[in-house]
Amino acid sequence: MAQTALEPKNYSGLQARRQALDAYWQQGVGGNALLRKHSDFIDHHLAESFKKSAPAAEGFALVALGGYGRQELYPFSDIDLMILYDPAHKDELNSLVETILYPLWDTGLEVGHAVRTPDECMAFAAEDFFFRVAMLDARLLVGSATLFGKLTEMYKKAYIEGRRQEFLDDMLKQRTKRESQYGRHTYLLEPHIKEGCGGFRDIQSMVWTAHVVFGLKDLESLNEAGLLSQEELNRFEQAQDYLIRIRNRLHYVSGRKNDQLFFEHQKELAQAFGFTNKEELLGVEHFMREVYTHMQTISVTTDLFFEHVEEVLKGEESSKKGKVLEPDIEVKHGRIHLVNSEHLKEKPKLFMRLFYQSAKTGKPLHFRTRKAITAKLHHIDDKQRHSRRNAKLFLEILLSAKPFSVLEDMLDTGFLTSYIPELAKVESLAQHDVYHVFTVDRHLVQTINELEKLREEEVNIYTVISSPHILFLAGLLHDVGKGHGHGHAERGADLARQVGVRLNLKTDELDTLDFLVRNHLFLSHTALRRDLEDEEFLMRCATRIHSPGLLAMLYLLTIADARATGPTVWNDWKAALLLELYLKIVLLLDRKDISEQEQTRSAELGARWIREKVYELLPEPDDIDFDLYSDDYLLSFPPEVIAEHITQAKKLKKQEVLFSHKPNKESWSILVMTKDRPGLLTRIFGVLALHNLNVLAAKIFTWADGTVVDTIEVSSAISESYDGQDWTAMGNELHLAIQQRLGLEFRLSRKLAPLRNKPQGVQQRLAAKVKIDNRASELYSVIEVFSEDRIGILYDITKTLSDFGISIYRARISSKADQIVDVFYVLDHDGKKIEDPAFTNELQQGLLYAVKNV
Amino acid sequence: MKKIEAIIKPFKLDDVKEALNDMGIKGMTISEVKGYGRQKGHKEIYRGAEYIVDFIPKVKMEIIVDASQVDEVIETIIQAAKTGKIGDGKIFVLPVDEVVRVRTGEKGVEAI
Repeated sequence: MAQTALEPKNYSGLQARRQALDAYWQQGVGGNALLRKHSDFIDHHLAESFKKSAPAAEGFALVALGGYGRQELYPFSDIDLMILYDPAHKDELNSLVETILYPLWDTGLEVGHAVRTPDECMAFAAEDFFFRVAMLDARLLVGSATLFGKLTEMYKKAYIEGRRQEFLDDMLKQRTKRESQYGRHTYLLEPHIKEGCGGFRDIQSMVWTAHVVFGLKDLESLNEAGLLSQEELNRFEQAQDYLIRIRNRLHYVSGRKNDQLFFEHQKELAQAFGFTNKEELLGVEHFMREVYTHMQTISVTTDLFFEHVEEVLKGEESSKKGKVLEPDIEVKHGRIHLVNSEHLKEKPKLFMRLFYQSAKTGKPLHFRTRKAITAKLHHIDDKQRHSRRNAKLFLEILLSAKPFSVLEDMLDTGFLTSYIPELAKVESLAQHDVYHVFTVDRHLVQTINELEKLREEEVNIYTVISSPHILFLAGLLHDVGKGHGHGHAERGADLARQVGVRLNLKTDELDTLDFLVRNHLFLSHTALRRDLEDEEFLMRCATRIHSPGLLAMLYLLTIADARATGPTVWNDWKAALLLELYLKIVLLLDRKDISEQEQTRSAELGARWIREKVYELLPEPDDIDFDLYSDDYLLSFPPEVIAEHITQAKKLKKQEVLFSHKPNKESWSILVMTKDRPGLLTRIFGVLALHNLNVLAAKIFTWADGTVVDTIEVSSAISESYDGQDWTAMGNELHLAIQQRLGLEFRLSRKLAPLRNKPQGVQQRLAAKVKIDNRASELYSVIEVFSEDRIGILYDITKTLSDFGISIYRARISSKADQIVDVFYVLDHDGKKIEDPAFTNELQQGLLYAVKNV
Repeated sequence: MKKIEAIIKPFKLDDVKEALNDMGIKGMTISEVKGYGRQKGHKEIYRGAEYIVDFIPKVKMEIIVDASQVDEVIETIIQAAKTGKIGDGKIFVLPVDEVVRVRTGEKGVEAI
């Protein structure tokens, strides 16, 4: 140890202790070294005090216990002191005690002091577990070595020799008690670095146990004895040193003994340790990630150590032979064993097979197998990550009876982030708010736990799901996009898709996974912020989600996500709102007319799929700009038809209008493609009416480059046959009409006059209705016209709209029996929605008149 | 001084808060509550399983105002929270004896 300029003897008296420590701190002495200096300082002072009182040599001994005994004195630690005395020298006791203790009390130090004979010590140790354990760290400061030796002999005989199992049981009992009080996980929001999981008590338990069970005094000897690998030892010591530094600083920052990293202190400490805010990660989040990683190291190492010790003491190691599950893997005493850890190198498929067996049998992996996995993670390469066999097994693990414990093991051993590197980015990533209790990786695994529970709790909803493995996979990956700033749902969806491709999922499975991750916040946001009585809105939700199976998955994922986030996130109140939303949507989905093609493909899923299919079908797909085609358009036709449209569109460079037709079973299909212009639709419908064609259905679309694609289903109003129809003339007239060289108006009146001049008194059986809605679509006003059908009605409607300067962007014409339901997506001549109430009224009246037209 | 307690639909919270802020009310206490009035709970049956929604989730807002502001506040809340459908909620007005600011010890209307 290097000598610093400031040595204990440079400071006289205890008052200078504070300055001494501060001085060391300024000099950059930290970590273990600072603790040592503090301890030395007190040692020195106590030795002086002892000498001053000059008691009888063999009668007294000053003994340090606990942390002080280990020479680990934190800035505000208690000083655990014991004055050991021989009962024969009782009279000198008072003066000694005064000389030693009074000055300590005067300076306001926290001194744990005991004055005992060796027999009294043993008696107390018999009652008090903590004292018994503190004695393990007993250290003679000054005084009679013989007296001290007597005590340690008595202690060894009573509590160490032949008592290894009891000691271990006590340690484990204490550990369980601590876990229930301070939490099972290292990843809690405000970790307690002394008592919490992966904290100092864990380290001490391990060292004490090693001492009592194996006679090993410190960490290095654990390594020599083969209980800790060199790698493990290095990481462990690093973690320990980090925690010491934190605890030192925490004491200073709080100005008192404080071992919990409270929320308020985290930012300050992060700064002190040099972490700054980056774009994707706050400094404090980065810092806490380091803390969690280190505590996790300590926790996992001590877990493995205790398992080892238990096994040694039970003497089970060599006894029975294991039962072979498959080549290289066997089960023994309820634990899965890898027969030879070297096999992981030659046969890396064993990694997944081990976890698979664990899932299948419900038995955990043996600690040595877990250590082997961690040590050999570098043998997992891209081949393993893309392996179909591995993928199949992984998905089966997700669907096993208890996937959570297996996934926890995968996470703890480091296998999970090796197999799915996308998860590495969120490993130990903390989320700095009072809302999130777990780090992201732990939260994702916890979500699996919640899904496991929901599988039992919500049986009715679970049975609706046809691909539960996708639900669990979505649970595991839903937050994988975090750590990059905003928009984690979208980013996560892309990453999840990437993972899904490697796992060899089918296209529809990939789409479902994408959908779930992309929308995993949708239900909770909606339930709290939207009016659940709003029918329009609920319809849109139903359309967006479009399938009861998807809805069920999203619903369960939402609940699992919330429960796995923190105790304040989920409660009955939120559950009730979410259930209400779920029920409203699911009932809508059940009642909606599912015969419509549009139901089976959602706006996001289907369009993407169709884009890909079309891409495959086109001869020169790279020339095509897919942004031209709206989702709505893509969802209305099969990919072959869209490819046909795109190919035909090329001819529009030479021709003004493309017109084609073909017969179907019950109707004829007409396709008209041209460049958009005002009044276009009116003219098309006008020409059709001239040729006695009833419009049964029509889909009107405009591409972003102004190309119009109108597909119209027609039938002859005069029962003409397909071949009897004069298609050539129709084509010509369309050309003329579109180029505004046909007198549609007068031709139509001439033609339709007999039909229009019905005798008075014949009322429409169906009352015509015109609805103008500005909320159903974000971009357009939606005009719905309900009426009885007749020839020329579409011409009249679209003409009226045109007269009002309204542009039609999309239309859906349909007829049932003799009624029509025409839906037009429009904007006014300024390109805005129709919002002026007076104009709206005028438009409505105009349309009603046009529709009746009797 | 009066205390105004308003029970409103959860999704209306932001709207009401903004409307109150706009008229000068800066402080309030919010709780998540459950309840029913004439709206009552209802039973849904989906795929053979009964879902009984007994208590409807609502939000309770508590605001302290000077007696002279009561009518205006009530009007503001109604405007912002109303949907016209059943379950819109209720507003209660209660008397307040004293208001104290913890930090400074101020009392009365100054402490609101």
